[in-house]
Amino acid sequence: MSINALLLWPLITSAVLGLTGPRLGRALPPAVAVRLLTTAALISALATGFALAVAAFAVLARVPFVGALGHWSIAALDSGPRVPAVAGVLAGAAVTALIVAAAVRAVRGGRELVTAALICRDLDDAGGGLVVIVDEHPDAYALPGIRGRIVVSTAMLHALSSDERRVLLAHEAAHLARGHHLYLQVAELSAAANPLLRPVARAIAAAVEREADEIAAAEVGDRRLAARALARAGLARTSGPAHRRALVGALGGADRNVVARAHALLAPPPPHRRFLAASLTAMILVTSAVSLTTAKQTERRFEAAQAGYTRHA
Amino acid sequence: MSTRATRPRGALERQVLACLAIADHPLSVGEVLADLDGDLAYTTVMTTLTRLHSKGALVREQVGRAYTYAVAGDARAMGSSVTAQRMRRLLEAGDDRAGVLTRFVAGLRPEDEQLLTDVLAATEHTEHTEQR
Repeated sequence: MSINALLLWPLITSAVLGLTGPRLGRALPPAVAVRLLTTAALISALATGFALAVAAFAVLARVPFVGALGHWSIAALDSGPRVPAVAGVLAGAAVTALIVAAAVRAVRGGRELVTAALICRDLDDAGGGLVVIVDEHPDAYALPGIRGRIVVSTAMLHALSSDERRVLLAHEAAHLARGHHLYLQVAELSAAANPLLRPVARAIAAAVEREADEIAAAEVGDRRLAARALARAGLARTSGPAHRRALVGALGGADRNVVARAHALLAPPPPHRRFLAASLTAMILVTSAVSLTTAKQTERRFEAAQAGYTRHA
Repeated sequence: MSTRATRPRGALERQVLACLAIADHPLSVGEVLADLDGDLAYTTVMTTLTRLHSKGALVREQVGRAYTYAVAGDARAMGSSVTAQRMRRLLEAGDDRAGVLTRFVAGLRPEDEQLLTDVLAATEHTEHTEQR
């Protein structure tokens, strides 16, 4: 395969993944969606960054001065398929910007994880990692750490019945037990490194909630009860103190929609969708193979060009 | 309903704590049992209460021949503490994208209120028909 086709492949898969990610996230069983989509996003982001860097370098390497520095023959590089100069320059600019964006995101995510872990350490583990906050605003979330905590406000506890509270606690415990915060961080990092993957990151965030919902429903042995707990908690948040109501713009939370989650719980448990899962796995493997081939081909090309350089010298 | 799956470790402790955290007076083992789901044994709840008390999460008081339990004071004063403020900042940092904290319910749209009311009505309705 020509080098240009190899270099375009990660961009094409990222675009396809970006377009189909939200659909895949809804169709696949949540546990499978979380793992496969996160892997696909990470591999696509890495492969895209690598392809852009190779494209940029392939053009940069044809500058005579660079060739002299690296001891390779420009004439040898010029023979055979070439990356167009404009494409190389654009790729270089893009990969630089994306590496900076990814680094900024990595630092931010890392700092938040550390802050969360430090807060966890400061909170007394009264029992089972539950922390109750006296607050008139209904809220509940999982705080990841070495031993994570489940934080629930008194208003949220008051809003729910005893068996609905059990759903909420099981849901948050599932986030911690499955390490969902790490998947979310990898998803966000991938989207920062490749904006085409932004919809995939949103799909992963939605799938993470769905997985925790399914685990909670299984633990209480009642899907309807789980749906009822979600609806009750959602309504409690819309009726809280006006200045802290949980309403967001139509775009922001569309993929983490509570209503969709409740409806999914009212429907039967999700089917396996083995063909879809296998297709996504195949895409991940092909993208990895393409990156390895790109690396091999580029290496061979430069080795040949370096062999050609000694002849001129 | 259908068969109840096993409770993971710590799940019962959390349930008991959540129940006591919003109780307006100290509760006896029987009262905690009544608030939690019906499939629990009295001794299971009693063991959990005793364990939480020995960890310092609960305070207890002898009433007649039995104990009543309440959450230990400092756990309830969390709301305005520095730690709570740091948590709020973390939550706000994650409002525009997936943060490190995963909320039970986030991302509500204005039209969701009615849709959630419908879900609630649907689930409560079937529950009544099942009970009949």
